[in-house]
Amino acid sequence: MGIEIGAVKLTLDELGTRLQGEFGDDLVDLRVQEPDTLVARVDRHKLHAVAAKLKGLGEIAYDSCNFVAAVDYVTHLETVYHLYSYSTNTYIELHVEIDRNNAVCDTICDIYPAANWHEREAWDMMGVRFEGHPDLRRILLKDDWIGHPLRKDYVDLVENHPNV
Amino acid sequence: MARVMDHYPKLERFEHPNIVTTTADLVFNWARSRSIFPFTYGIACCAIEMLSSGFARFDIARFGWEVFRPTPRQCDLMIVAGTVNEKMAPVLKRLYDQMSEPKWVISMGACATSGGPFYDGYNVVNGVDKIVPVDVYIPGCPPRPEALFHGMLQLQKKIQKMSFVAPRIDEGDELALASLRGEGERAIAPAGQTDGRLPTNAAESQEVQ
Repeated sequence: MGIEIGAVKLTLDELGTRLQGEFGDDLVDLRVQEPDTLVARVDRHKLHAVAAKLKGLGEIAYDSCNFVAAVDYVTHLETVYHLYSYSTNTYIELHVEIDRNNAVCDTICDIYPAANWHEREAWDMMGVRFEGHPDLRRILLKDDWIGHPLRKDYVDLVENHPNV
Repeated sequence: MARVMDHYPKLERFEHPNIVTTTADLVFNWARSRSIFPFTYGIACCAIEMLSSGFARFDIARFGWEVFRPTPRQCDLMIVAGTVNEKMAPVLKRLYDQMSEPKWVISMGACATSGGPFYDGYNVVNGVDKIVPVDVYIPGCPPRPEALFHGMLQLQKKIQKMSFVAPRIDEGDELALASLRGEGERAIAPAGQTDGRLPTNAAESQEVQ
């Protein structure tokens, strides 16, 4: 599948090669997921710089944040960033492994304002603390909720159900 | 001088101004049960059925119930149409308290009645009757508009049995006197009060503390 960037035609693999050249070791294990997605792992300390650079890539910039997800793998947590490029019509998925007991991750909502509520949701459901987030409150549950319900070891306390 | 009956031929059977004697209960219940203002309180997919009840195909206006109001202060009836979650619960209670008396509640659908398919959800209130007193429960997931109408007609019957006559209270009936003084209402259970729900988790929560 060809990707048109101005007058240049690129395949997804060629785009991946170009990104690998731009970022080097920052994008670990970069691979192609047909038809339109590149997938890579990123170190959590480099995430902010990688996201900022991805947004400022000029003609192949990933200028939109579609989603921020969090996954509980029991051994560790992972945040997943789905970034989209309007100019190349492709996505890039950044997987960031974080510690489960000290779930801290840098915010990217200063780069992508759309990530603000997604990060609040990840905090609410998974307990991932995003450092530098301007307003990290719960978004779906009550403010005084105890625990993060989508964690695999979540225990529902009766304190969370005052009306029962 | 033109008389009213000249303009309204159907009134011709009254030759003179008339007085109809009946009970105050009947008049008020007749008016109340046929001009209910429901509260626009659609909180999940049941709301789609509630709204389609209002449109031309099913036409809730046939019953005189079509005046949906977006403020609780102008409403008689709260149709809880959907899943109530823990974050919504205090809001729902507050909106109910803001409605003017007399007021009624219809629990529409499985979620509002018992939690329904989300019974085990961590954020779901298992039945709106844990928060506000419910007059009519409508089963279904979601109930069709016909089911909502049936529930409405049941509520009409219930309203028509209301009375202005204060119930006679015997001298020593402490329970009824307390109820009159407003002491019968149950406060929201304080945090930490265990009651048999989530028995396994309750035991674990003790350990956590």
